[in-house]
Amino acid sequence: MYKNLRDCQIKPMELFQLYLYLSPQMAMPHINLLTWNLPQLEAQMPWRYLTITMFSPLSTEYIVAFNGYFTAKARSHFISSALKSSEALDWRIVPRKNPASDFPSDFEVVQIRQASHSSLLTLEDHPYIKRVTPQRKVFRTLNYTPDLPDPGATCNNDTRWTQKWQSWQSSRPLRRTSLSLAFGFWHATGRHSSRRLLRAIPRHVAQILQADVLWQMGYTGSGVKVAVFDTGLSEKHPHFKNVKERTNWTNEKTLDDGLGHGTFVAGVIASMRECQGFAPDSELHIFRVFTNNQVSYTSWFLDAFNYAILKKIDVLNLSIGGPDFMDHPFVDKVWELTANRVIMVSAIGNDGPLYGTLNNPADQMDVIGVGGIDFEDNIARFSSRGMTTWELPGGYGRVKPDIVTYGSGVRGSGMKEGCRSLSGTSVASPVVAGAVTLLVSTVLNRELVNPASMKQALIASARRLPGVNMFEQGHGKLDLIRAYQILNSYKPQASLSPSYIDLTECPYMWPYCSQPIYYGGMPTIVNVTILNGMGVTGRILDKPIWQPYLPQNGDHIDVAVSYSPVLWPWAGYLAVSISVAKKAASWEGIAQGHVMVTVASPAGNNVGGEMTSTVKLPVKVKIVPTPPRSKRVLWDQYHNLRYPPGYFPRDNLRMKNDPLDWNGDHIHTNFRDMYQHLRSMGYFVEVLGAPITCFDASQYGTFMMVDSEEEYFPEEITKLRRDIDKGLSLIVFSDWYNTSVMRKVKFYDENTRQWWMPDTGGANVPALNDLISVWGMAFSDGLYEGDFTMADHDMYYASGCSIAKFPEDGIVIAKTLKDQGLEVLKQETAVVEGVPILGMYQTPSEGGGRIALYGDSNCIDDSHRQKDCFWLLDALLQYTSYSMTPPSLIHSNSRVTPPTGTDRPLPERLEGNHLYRYSKVLEAHLGDPKPRPLPACPHLSWSKPQPLNETAPRCVRPMVS
Amino acid sequence: MVLRRLLRKRWVLGVVFGLSLIYFLTNTLKQEERTIRDRTLLEARDPDHRIPWKVRFNLGNSSRPITQCRNSIQGKSLLTDELGYVCERKDLLVNGCCNVNALSSRQYICKSCLANGCCNIYEYCVSCCLQPDKQLLLEHFLNRAADGFQNLFTAVEDHFELCLAKCRTSSQSVQHENTYRNPQAKYCYGESPPELLPI
Repeated sequence: MYKNLRDCQIKPMELFQLYLYLSPQMAMPHINLLTWNLPQLEAQMPWRYLTITMFSPLSTEYIVAFNGYFTAKARSHFISSALKSSEALDWRIVPRKNPASDFPSDFEVVQIRQASHSSLLTLEDHPYIKRVTPQRKVFRTLNYTPDLPDPGATCNNDTRWTQKWQSWQSSRPLRRTSLSLAFGFWHATGRHSSRRLLRAIPRHVAQILQADVLWQMGYTGSGVKVAVFDTGLSEKHPHFKNVKERTNWTNEKTLDDGLGHGTFVAGVIASMRECQGFAPDSELHIFRVFTNNQVSYTSWFLDAFNYAILKKIDVLNLSIGGPDFMDHPFVDKVWELTANRVIMVSAIGNDGPLYGTLNNPADQMDVIGVGGIDFEDNIARFSSRGMTTWELPGGYGRVKPDIVTYGSGVRGSGMKEGCRSLSGTSVASPVVAGAVTLLVSTVLNRELVNPASMKQALIASARRLPGVNMFEQGHGKLDLIRAYQILNSYKPQASLSPSYIDLTECPYMWPYCSQPIYYGGMPTIVNVTILNGMGVTGRILDKPIWQPYLPQNGDHIDVAVSYSPVLWPWAGYLAVSISVAKKAASWEGIAQGHVMVTVASPAGNNVGGEMTSTVKLPVKVKIVPTPPRSKRVLWDQYHNLRYPPGYFPRDNLRMKNDPLDWNGDHIHTNFRDMYQHLRSMGYFVEVLGAPITCFDASQYGTFMMVDSEEEYFPEEITKLRRDIDKGLSLIVFSDWYNTSVMRKVKFYDENTRQWWMPDTGGANVPALNDLISVWGMAFSDGLYEGDFTMADHDMYYASGCSIAKFPEDGIVIAKTLKDQGLEVLKQETAVVEGVPILGMYQTPSEGGGRIALYGDSNCIDDSHRQKDCFWLLDALLQYTSYSMTPPSLIHSNSRVTPPTGTDRPLPERLEGNHLYRYSKVLEAHLGDPKPRPLPACPHLSWSKPQPLNETAPRCVRPMVS
Repeated sequence: MVLRRLLRKRWVLGVVFGLSLIYFLTNTLKQEERTIRDRTLLEARDPDHRIPWKVRFNLGNSSRPITQCRNSIQGKSLLTDELGYVCERKDLLVNGCCNVNALSSRQYICKSCLANGCCNIYEYCVSCCLQPDKQLLLEHFLNRAADGFQNLFTAVEDHFELCLAKCRTSSQSVQHENTYRNPQAKYCYGESPPELLPI
């Protein structure tokens, strides 16, 4: 049955695979392997074994723990070689017979007769052996109910299930996916301790979060309507006592759950026995919107959501998500739901640890977006993170998730009966939805409960996790009891998320805290969300006021504020741009002040009247003197396009499971490692979210363009040329662009029921060529791939182009690579020698800048990166910023004469592409699309400061009443 | 060898086929089982089957004294009450009704609505739909409503709820799942879906 299932679910992608991936071994990239391995690792956790192996030492048995996971054979080999030196020991390995024993393990039980202390020490001396501890015998102290399924068996079932789900999820990036089960593994931080194993003991998440305190007070969720949008629920499941209604919105004729996902989610919210849910007396409304093949369409959701509004649902759990925040019908509908007072709780996504992976609808301001942690309070590896990417390129993303809670190894209802344990933000979401349901039932005056006030209570009560930044944990870990206290003394008001701006606070305020601000830099933008618990609609009264604290040098910064004209539904944005005043150009220190905002909402009990609420947003920044030009790098964000809305294919064509470029291509999303690296090298990196005409090039050493998909205004081309003549340098990391391959990677997307044709290649090479042609440079339409060594570094070229044309006095490095274009198009393998991939050029004008080109961006991109090339970026920056030619490259025997571009034509734009639909530069025109008129550069209107001659409150964080 | 010969026997194949058939049938039939409480979209239905709608229309401009109004709740700035008045939020009375004396209040207003019954603004769609003369149109729609709407429109109880539900965007409003057929006129009280605009 499963096989069948899988056959149908992967069909459209199979087309895609067929086109692209011919040899399965090569198609298994590193990252992918990892995701497949992790479920296996979960199986290695010897659950059953450990529940029977604690307490009361057995004198002759020892647990030998290894540094990693090894096969039984290897383990036995290690032990025998370690014990070889200590003579005459009688030992044997105690066989373990459980399903996990087929998998590699990190421990072995060894029986040693007359073990001396020294023999144990020799064992511990072995390089692969971490620890030797006496085996302990079992007392069943855990209160098992006899009909619980065997934990070991559960573990194994889950594993199979995990793999199944995972394979599907990753193969369907377009579809709004059900977010169960990432490769939920216990240790997000990679901490290895034997305690980790204990965590395999089933935990009741409701009890850990102290739901029993509220149960004892008589609150059990009664009278609260909670909707589960998922894969359904079988009718006679023994765990549920109050299933009010089940409806089916799919094209399958069943209401039952054929997967177990929906049952599990419903169980976490409302199970009344075995693995207890949070609100057993709540009224459950089951909406089946996913088929057993995990197919779902926006239109099913729209109709189901309408029904939920009609039924006046109070809390709605959506353990689903997808990258398409430009699906307007869906996004609008979610707004409509919250506007009708439905509290929406949704999973943030399972695409971590990569940044820029937040899923919709959890990334919406009106939705409670939930991330996952394990039982040791580490952010779960799978949990999606990074800022929202809606606001790019001009603005800056909002903080999400809102809160985090347990999502790893949580126990919930099994499909037919019993309990199982699952991982994923799909699991974390119903934990919050269940908690919210329980919380709603504790409030006497239900009028006060709305999507905003609930979110305010949750985030104000959340416990912050140490050492984790806000783009991973949001406001911290759910604290049910504190949320109960806050909610039950709640007065309608507005609040801010984050509630203060402290750009010096590390690591919570990463990335802000990672780079101080200085005069002349691009303004730092903090995108704050305003939550308005007073009403579904509201507005900002007057203008927000900036009040610098004079004793704290508040007058050294300028602040500009932009905000939503209407706060609807329940929320809006407040974007605070911070810049250093001219008088602080060479000053170093901390500046403080606050922004004061008054929010007004129509009052329900007074015609024409308004309720108002005033909030202060404390601001604290670190200022340094403006760094020298050579240390300043400007990142071009304006010309980076991504999915949604158009099909912008991945830069690495081997990544068949993730064909879209959707992580934002920002230094704080999928180029985060590169950013961190540049910071550690002492560079100051700023982001240009506007056309090239909008920056002062004399301020910057190097302008970086990585993987650009956008076109260029003619004015930009002229401006850049002038800037480079005057000493600005340019680094371009390009990517592949081959029209035949682009036609080949089109695929039928079942989600939108149409063919998807890419609008550019990995990068927009024809546009880039227009930009750099003035220097006699061009990239080719070649498509290359392969491993090579450059300056003693192992490198991997993942679907990149080559340099077709370069000035003859430039430096060009060539390597031997595989022709991936041929492989994709004709399934033939061909090795091409002397592919020019790197070029460096000093422009001839007096004091002119330098230009460096490289044909592939994958090695500085966090998504699907196999080998980084930050060393190369360092070398190129040394060249562009300091004019130091890297000797390791210049003296390399890979240096070739620069290509003249005469042997084959340069790439042309794919005919009939729809780039103009998504472009900020092009507009549709009869015939070819033409550039629009150049837009005006963004202009910030700085708030007129109202200085306060008072000292900043010592605690920057405001307390929430 | 024995096994292969056995497999060639016709009766063995027959038994295998029979068992498969039984398995198939039981599984299919099991799916057919339903309880009254459960509703599903795509029941096999005879063509002139109608959804059992139970909407109560209150004819004409109801003169019954209304003390409390339901309204459309969600609006950014406008609201429609159950008497068909559209008003700004500031003109909403404590009882949930629009203040009929306020300048912004208008009853049964079809502003922003096209001839095909699709409007640009939800609140006007609801108000227009509440016009007493729309009852025939709505009944006609209910009698021919697509299966997909069965859950929704059998649960609707009166004219106001019907208009609230009918005017919402739905599966009828989209093309390619993630795009509106017509983003300018997506709220429809009429029978036909929004006019299809090219992307």
